[in-house]
Amino acid sequence: MIYTIGHKTTYSYEKPVGFARCVLRLTPASTPTQRLLDSSTAVSPAPAGLVIGRGAFGEETRTLVIDQSHDRLVIEARSRVDVDTRTIDPAGSAPWEDVRIAALESRLLTEAGPAAYLYPTRRTPTAAMITDYARISFQPRRPIVDAARDLMTRMHAEFTYDPEATNVATPAIEAFEARHGVCQDFAHIMIAGLRGLGLSAAYVSGYLRTNPPPGRPRLAGADATHAWVSVWCGANGWIGFDPTNAVLALGDHIILAIGRDYSDVAPIDGIILAPGGQHIKVEVDVVPETELVAAALLLSDA
Amino acid sequence: MAADAARAAPRQQGDLGPEAAARLSAWLRDYRTLPGVPDELFDVMRRPRADWLNLLAGFAEYPETESRSRFAAATRHIRDTGVSYRVYGEETERSWPLNPLPLILGHREWAQIAAGVEQRATLIEAILQDIYGPAKLIESGALPAAAVTGSIDFIRAMRGVAPPGGRHMPLYAVDLGRGPDGRWWVLDDRTQAPSGAGYALENRLVLSRAYPALYNSMNVQRLAPFFDGMRKGLVASADRSDPRVCLLTPGPFSETYFEQAHLARYLGFLLVQGADLVARDGRVYVRTIAGLKRADVILRRVDADYLDPLELNGSSHLGTPGILEAIRTGGVAMVNMPGTGVIESRALLGFLPKLCRQILGESLKLPNVATWWCGQPAEHERVDREFDNLVIGPAFNTYAGSGEKSRPRLIADLSSAERATLRARLNDRPGDYVGQEVVRLSTMPVLRGDRLEAAPFVLRVYAAWTPEGFRIMPGGFCRTSEIKDVRAISMDASARTADVWVLDDKPTESTTLLASKDDVKVRRILGHLPSRAADNLFWLGRYIERAEATLRLARSLCTSLMVSDSAIHSSGETLEGLQQLLIEWGALDKDAPAGSSLEAARCTVRDQDAHGSVIYLVRAARRTAASMRERLSADFWALLLNLETELTDAHRAPQSEAEALEQVESALQILAALSGLSQENMNRVAGWRFLDMGRRLERGINACRMARTFAHDDATTDDLDLLLDLIDSQISYRARYLVGIAMIPVRDMVVLDCFNTRSLAFQVETIKHHLKALPTLQDDGMIEEPLRLLLPLSTDIETTEASYLTIEKIRLFEKTLMYLSGAIADRYFLQGATAVPTIKLASMG
Repeated sequence: MIYTIGHKTTYSYEKPVGFARCVLRLTPASTPTQRLLDSSTAVSPAPAGLVIGRGAFGEETRTLVIDQSHDRLVIEARSRVDVDTRTIDPAGSAPWEDVRIAALESRLLTEAGPAAYLYPTRRTPTAAMITDYARISFQPRRPIVDAARDLMTRMHAEFTYDPEATNVATPAIEAFEARHGVCQDFAHIMIAGLRGLGLSAAYVSGYLRTNPPPGRPRLAGADATHAWVSVWCGANGWIGFDPTNAVLALGDHIILAIGRDYSDVAPIDGIILAPGGQHIKVEVDVVPETELVAAALLLSDA
Repeated sequence: MAADAARAAPRQQGDLGPEAAARLSAWLRDYRTLPGVPDELFDVMRRPRADWLNLLAGFAEYPETESRSRFAAATRHIRDTGVSYRVYGEETERSWPLNPLPLILGHREWAQIAAGVEQRATLIEAILQDIYGPAKLIESGALPAAAVTGSIDFIRAMRGVAPPGGRHMPLYAVDLGRGPDGRWWVLDDRTQAPSGAGYALENRLVLSRAYPALYNSMNVQRLAPFFDGMRKGLVASADRSDPRVCLLTPGPFSETYFEQAHLARYLGFLLVQGADLVARDGRVYVRTIAGLKRADVILRRVDADYLDPLELNGSSHLGTPGILEAIRTGGVAMVNMPGTGVIESRALLGFLPKLCRQILGESLKLPNVATWWCGQPAEHERVDREFDNLVIGPAFNTYAGSGEKSRPRLIADLSSAERATLRARLNDRPGDYVGQEVVRLSTMPVLRGDRLEAAPFVLRVYAAWTPEGFRIMPGGFCRTSEIKDVRAISMDASARTADVWVLDDKPTESTTLLASKDDVKVRRILGHLPSRAADNLFWLGRYIERAEATLRLARSLCTSLMVSDSAIHSSGETLEGLQQLLIEWGALDKDAPAGSSLEAARCTVRDQDAHGSVIYLVRAARRTAASMRERLSADFWALLLNLETELTDAHRAPQSEAEALEQVESALQILAALSGLSQENMNRVAGWRFLDMGRRLERGINACRMARTFAHDDATTDDLDLLLDLIDSQISYRARYLVGIAMIPVRDMVVLDCFNTRSLAFQVETIKHHLKALPTLQDDGMIEEPLRLLLPLSTDIETTEASYLTIEKIRLFEKTLMYLSGAIADRYFLQGATAVPTIKLASMG
């Protein structure tokens, strides 16, 4: 399936900002299950310097410096991505204990290998409470995909989605204790649980194709950025688990960047010299190309 | 020194005088080694080794009291020069915990250590090249990827980056202990930002000063050539000649800040903090009063994770945003490279023997403690089996705050509940742990009182890459434990340090850091003054001046009480004005019950909680000075410390007016000495100008305030008389005006008279002179804000006639000076009054 994605971020400042240095991670990744067809980024005001590079986890980064005074910063990324649809047989995967040993023995140091996502981080510290919660799904010798899917399903059933309850800085343990949060919290909690058991789990930022209610048109900008978990499953490789929606990422999820936690993949990271406050607005559109074709046909009919 | 010189000849035990011989034999007789533990002094037959005997004989010749006083004097000198202040802002500063006896290492023994350290440094560099390069060791299975990625110091962003000069780790240190078999063992590698070399320098300074003849007679190898080589190596890693080398410090709150400051001064490097640097266009610059100046080489003492809030730990305030990008593009040489700390992981220790054979084709010359990383199934099983006999420690340095598992624990010391918890964690996440054999250290003699005792010790040895290859510092940083427990694990905070003397088999040539003739380019100004230093110097000047003014007020309080001098400003109103001014300055509490004037004087000088008291100001000055120790002379520092001691000494709390006056007078004398020192001994470069501008500005403001308080329109003769006292102008006034005290001439003298060094006019003229001499950022010939404010003020003062000088006008002058202070901060310092805060962009999940 080919998707067209628009991702527009607008920062409005209370008082003019004279200097900004940002790192953008807004170019979708190319992975074994998805191909980037094209992408572009527009920034206003025009940056004084822009360097395209690779981040630590292989993601494309655009580092920019703005040194003219501005009271609005608009960053608009557009891309087209082809995502494979696939199926998985959860019962056919290896017992999770074997996968744990295989991860420790891995000979791959790159960001593609499991060793990169085995250890706790600031946002995903191991906590006995979370590990024990995860352990319930990981009975001895249970196939890893099956066990991870069970953990995901339990989380979806027992946690409340509540955008007001947490913010980008809420620690995983706090969201866990309150059993609520948003996709970022759920991803961090699930990662902490899996790593607590010695498994390799990565944080994925990206987009999810959403379907408008039947009979209603798709609203522009109604979608959002999303986050889920990629678990290393031994011979089965990396498989995406989305605890916010209790689904596996098998074709509807578009990967932007992969890292150890949110800090590694933040779509926009930066510092500004700001004498006043700031306000952020994000608008995302994820449109399957089939719908575009349909819309074009409708137009031509009219 | 003559007595000392007589002892210079090499001596035998038999040559000793009877007293010395008796001391020596008592030391040896009472020396108790620990059973089964090797000792540096005694061999297995309890025979003292020759070099040690030589050393002890030399020591025995100094009578106990002389020896103690020599050592105390040398230690005090080090303390006075400030380098030993280990904890910033700590109320009771620790004394320098140095043993009088050094560790002695013979020529042959040292050769083995040095070869082992060099081999290890070479091996580690090769491993780093692989981890941050092709990762062949990992691909081949010699090193599991997970044994690397667990460390917070594995900086993935540095993979594929070519280090400047081709080396990741030009500086290296290693902690050694002597094991039960008599061999030296590696306890820990220090590959990130080795500390302690500066302490080694200081220790050497103390001992060579305390016992010069003994030191000279023992052919002790010198440290200076090592530091010279290190400096040359750092300079060579820059891509231009005459590079600017900076030592990046975490700041005055760092435990080893004074060592860093000392090292920077000794090596002639610029001491900077993260906020002093700016990364721009792939290069790094230092903020100076003359704008941004390039930093070519950065010797870092900040851990990698904190270096760059943009790419690494986003909450770091110690770093510089964008500095990693500059390192990647080769715009700055950082030593050691970010990421070298990965080698400090205990997980790697167990792999080194095999890697050494594989990479260098030889065995490790210095074995390390047997270590099993539990990330490997076979090793995990073994640790599980021998659990109770092992030390279990964290396999990696992780991020701060990861809590309880950060310290290696001897399982035998744990309760059964603790053991069960640890075991469960080990089973969940085996890769987080290593099992290690319990290490036992050997002992060396230390003097406690006049007894010789055996103390367990650890030796840190340093290596530096120089243009001639690795050079090993002949000496090191030795820590001895106060606890008689030789398990290395108990080396704790109670440690003391010892100098390390590596003996040569031939007489030592004396070398210092004197460069050869062709290295030296004559220069008169040492680069541009960093903005932070300018800021600190300016405030140091203001604090010192305010302390002096407050002391003068306190002096007047005291004299007003003296019965014998009742004629002088004894009137109630004048006293009230005096106290009111002290309350406004925060030296006296306005809500405190009005006590006696003696009490007021005492509080003004010694009240530690009042933010305007003299002691408070002196402490503020000392703290400010402490954060730029590398820029102040030892004498300046010593005077500042004396002043503080003078004011805090509990025995000297004044009981009478006379005593209070005496104390105030003596404090004023120390301050006069400080001013003299800065006038006569500081080079007339930008740093001195900022110190002096701070003083002048404060003095100008104070002159205005005092004039407003004591020369207001209804001022009495008493008031005016006191004012002349406060600005130290009694004598000039009386010489000039025989008629007696009158308002207009007094105001003129305090405010307008440009010949009076205490007047406002004089301060303004001096500041003008300084500002004109400082570098300008304007290339269009326009003047900068500070001068724009000052020039009209200067003209106004010059053209005002004394009879038209109103209190309102004086108030206006004072206000202009306050604006000027803000303008100077905005123009020259990092954080001016109108500085805009740097914040993170908001983010959304």
